[in-house]
Amino acid sequence: MPSPVLSARGISVRYGGVQALSGVDIEVRPGQIVGLIGPNGAGKTTFIDAVTGFARCTGSVEVAGRDIGRMRPHARVQAGLGRTWQAVELFDALTVAENLAVAARRPALWTTIRELLTNAEATRPPVGHALEALGIEGLAEAMPGELSEGQRKLVGMARAFVGDPKVVLLDEPAAGLDTDESAELGKHLRRLGDQGTPMLLIDHDINLVFATCDHVVVLEFGQVIATGRPADVRRDPRVISAYLGSAASDDIKVGEES
Amino acid sequence: MTQPVLRIEGLTAGYGTVDVVRDVHLEVGKGEVVALLGPNGAGKTTTLRALSGLVKVSAGSISMRGQDLTGLTPAARARCAIAHVPEDRGLFRGLTVAEHLRLGPRGERLEADLAYRYFPALPAIADRRAGVLSGGEQQMLAVGRALARRPSLLVLDELSLGLAPVIVEQLLPVIRAYADESGCAVLLVEQHVHLALEISDRAYLMAHGVGSDSHDAAVLRRDRSVIQASYLGGQEWTPTADREKERDGDTQ
Amino acid sequence: METLVLFALLGLGSGAVIAGIALGVVLSWRGSGTINLAAGATVMVAGYVFWALRTGFFGFALQTVPAIVLTLLFMALYAVVVELVAVRPLRSASPLAKLVASLGVLLLTQALVLLIFGSAPRNSPSVLTGDVVSVFGVAVPEAQFILAGIVVALAGGLAALYRFTRFGLATRAASESERSAALAGLSPNVISLGNSVLGHVATGFVGVLAASIVGLSATTLPLLIIPALAAALFARFTSFGVACAVSLLIGISESLLYQASNESWFPTQNGSAIPGVQQVVEFLLIVIALWWRGSSLPLRGDLVERSLPMVPDQDRLAARVAPVAIACAVALVVLPSDFRQAVATGLVATVLCLSFVVIMGYVGQLSVVQLALAGVAGFVLSHLEAAYGIGFPLAPILAIAAATVLGVLIGASALRVRGVTLVVVTLAAAIAIEQFIFANPDWGGGQTGAPVESPKLFGLNLGADASFRGLDGSLPSPVFGLLALVVTVVLYLFVANLRRGDLGRRMLAVRSNERAAAAAGVNVRAVKIQGFAIASFLASIAGVMYAYDFRTVSANSYGTMSALSLVASVYVLGVTLVQGGVLAGFGAAGAVIPLILQTWVLPESRVSIYMQLIIGAGLLIQLRFCPDGLLVASATKRERRARASRAGKALTAVGAKPQGGV
Repeated sequence: MPSPVLSARGISVRYGGVQALSGVDIEVRPGQIVGLIGPNGAGKTTFIDAVTGFARCTGSVEVAGRDIGRMRPHARVQAGLGRTWQAVELFDALTVAENLAVAARRPALWTTIRELLTNAEATRPPVGHALEALGIEGLAEAMPGELSEGQRKLVGMARAFVGDPKVVLLDEPAAGLDTDESAELGKHLRRLGDQGTPMLLIDHDINLVFATCDHVVVLEFGQVIATGRPADVRRDPRVISAYLGSAASDDIKVGEES
Repeated sequence: MTQPVLRIEGLTAGYGTVDVVRDVHLEVGKGEVVALLGPNGAGKTTTLRALSGLVKVSAGSISMRGQDLTGLTPAARARCAIAHVPEDRGLFRGLTVAEHLRLGPRGERLEADLAYRYFPALPAIADRRAGVLSGGEQQMLAVGRALARRPSLLVLDELSLGLAPVIVEQLLPVIRAYADESGCAVLLVEQHVHLALEISDRAYLMAHGVGSDSHDAAVLRRDRSVIQASYLGGQEWTPTADREKERDGDTQ
Repeated sequence: METLVLFALLGLGSGAVIAGIALGVVLSWRGSGTINLAAGATVMVAGYVFWALRTGFFGFALQTVPAIVLTLLFMALYAVVVELVAVRPLRSASPLAKLVASLGVLLLTQALVLLIFGSAPRNSPSVLTGDVVSVFGVAVPEAQFILAGIVVALAGGLAALYRFTRFGLATRAASESERSAALAGLSPNVISLGNSVLGHVATGFVGVLAASIVGLSATTLPLLIIPALAAALFARFTSFGVACAVSLLIGISESLLYQASNESWFPTQNGSAIPGVQQVVEFLLIVIALWWRGSSLPLRGDLVERSLPMVPDQDRLAARVAPVAIACAVALVVLPSDFRQAVATGLVATVLCLSFVVIMGYVGQLSVVQLALAGVAGFVLSHLEAAYGIGFPLAPILAIAAATVLGVLIGASALRVRGVTLVVVTLAAAIAIEQFIFANPDWGGGQTGAPVESPKLFGLNLGADASFRGLDGSLPSPVFGLLALVVTVVLYLFVANLRRGDLGRRMLAVRSNERAAAAAGVNVRAVKIQGFAIASFLASIAGVMYAYDFRTVSANSYGTMSALSLVASVYVLGVTLVQGGVLAGFGAAGAVIPLILQTWVLPESRVSIYMQLIIGAGLLIQLRFCPDGLLVASATKRERRARASRAGKALTAVGAKPQGGV
């Protein structure tokens, strides 16, 4: 088995008096899309915040074997850890292409200096490949304020992928999308995964997660209650009662029908 | 037929230029508990926020006992006897439990005793700040504060967020009892579908920003297919089906 | 020992005034989330109104008590007007816009007071008893104790009000989360108005009582906001008790420092104590408060709906710059001498304003220290020549480097805090530099100013006294103006290119969302430091150019109020656009627009006050009706059209492809 691209071990987070995460271990291996699911408030977003350095945590975080647990958030990103936000958080003063350019690999220092001193059209790092991967080439010149929610989500994802990260953490990419957009998103995710970018996917759309992921981790109250292949996880009675409600055992049948 | 307490007609609302809910119709009558169900991102919370004036309504109308709420600020709507407990519980970390139960709009006195009666655990922690309470205590305070306002309409958004199911199972019957005793109309959004249906009279289902017609809760309790269709969608999503086939092929 | 006690107690008076202002700052923050830069001006307004009512300035003189009552009623009315004009329209605006609005109020009220009452300090009739009491055998005016007692009582009263009344509970609730407060039926407008009235009346009351002790001056009182901000920072903009106690301690330390300056051990220069130590202490206090309290400054859960001004792309630069540059070049030769001077000064001021475009428009931080940095560069230049004989071009390079390093150090001290708190640090730094460096007879020019040699390169005089003269044959020589024009055009293009390049994108990313910028791999602290370094660099260049322009450097040119006016005028015109910097530069003191006004429209002695009035009022109008800035609004519209046509072409291209494929 190849060694993990992302390895988070024993991640614990406390907010005031609340233990938001206790000792969570998650690994993402090359070529994998790992799903992270659980009821609202289970600590899924907190986990992403902890791994990316936005929430103070204990435990260790490694990307491609390199310990990044002590780094500030931007350094973790530069070490190959990309993420998206639930609320997308685009830079509203910049066009879509410029939004991506911010996250693209940094031009050499002398390029930056030359840009400031010459009146030539500013050089932009290539962002077209990320826009194309998500099918939004036509939006390059749009401002974030002019986009639909679905388009904003796609731009947010393109921004996470544009710097060729080693692994990407996606926080509810499908929330707020309509049926068509959600389906479209599923295709894009699969394609990006096949192109070799491993991902950790949080989403409430269980079918999206089960259909897209190779491996699923289930959180409840900040603890891992189940982990394994989607087919196994969806039959786990603890998962069913935690995620779908205690009287929801009937729901499995629907899952199997689809 | 008597006039409903809350009537929402053709509501379209969202953030910025983006409409998140489209053409939603909904009614809640006196003493009735109505659940608004659907998967995350379906627009349930946005509907509640539009009702309280927190998001922009681009079409449709919302009225309380026949009075149109259009143009009223969130504070003014709250003063129309709407008590909205939002997802984040709407508490103030720096204020004590007792202070929360004194904090009402001008000309409205909160009935702290009512909160203490429905939630007997609250008096013991009356002098503690909301920021140091446990999640369950915070939720009791949030609901207790709402009840103490003796509202005509109680709006509850995801009471169960971050709470152990056992606590949710205690909280929801209190809501039912209050509605029965006071005649208050209740509109609730809840992810624990089965718990919600147990205390509801009727339910509306939402998916991708669009609402359904009213369903009788008793029917939904018996026949789950309607809900499952709303939560899990149909079969039209090809990637899902493809992947499922692959996987089934693997396992068999 | 006795003198120590005496001076400590004598500091209570000014400490009480600072406390009064600090209480107003806390009330503004909790009521509406505004860092109220105009709280010091409140003391000034109340003091002057009381003085006028008491001394018959309006044609009738009142007794003390009716005068106080009437003054406080006026303050309540003033609070309502400020609330309706500068606070309520901006309730959902960004914190930067709220801050700038309070700057508008400060400029407007100070200008009005100067126009109505004049700039001479007044002796306010005393309100409190003139008796003295004996403490440790030292006679201390009783009024000092009474005043201190009153502010302590005020602080206690406000704390009780916040703890026990419904209004206080509602304010505490709303300042934690406006959304939750609204859901609880609490009206943010009413809460904000109530706190505003409370703050203005309380601060005004202290001002009335203290005016006879600290003196009534329209130039010094508004700047008491700086020690008050230091106290408010220690109080986390929350605790009345801490704000009051720290204010009194600042007052006492000020008095003790004054006493110490007469001691033999106090550092002296040319036989007299070095000035400005108090302002340096206040600056250090603010830095300490930010490092100690900074990470725990309360974030208000405001409903920010309107974001910062749009940032139009800088297109067709050459086409836009060339005509203006040519017009300037012609003007520098053909116009009469005072206008030639004004054009040159306008060009230099443009460079200074460009530094505000970078730090405020691109990085989203309000910094007001640039004019002081310009002064530092000028003085360093002058001293390098006078003391070490270093001349052009090495001296200006060293001067610019020194002032830039100082600027970066000041900016770095505010890094720990997010949001708009940079203004507090830079305001204190500006005052500290003004009092500690400029007013120092050796380092600064003292009261007289320091001379500067004209720049000479290979024996060629590039200065304003070069032998080549304008068409009318008089000084100043167009040579320096043309040099300034070249420098300004280069820096203009530099700042415009900054917007289009990689660094500019990262700055705008930081401006709109620090967390998301970090998640895109942007080092937020480094970008802020780079922004501050560039802004300081531009300001330092402007400082050196000012020095050559006037051939002397004097502290008067770099005053903090002038800096605030300049910041405001850039903001009005469009803080995100280089063109905004140019127009603001030509409206700066000594530049073309004031010269036109004083030549044909206004009395010469009052031009600067009228300019301040126009800018202050313009700011409030612009924030309300054109929040992006006057020039930005039109540029954005133009840009949107351009992008739409470009996108249209792209779409047609895309649309054509599938048909070809089929």
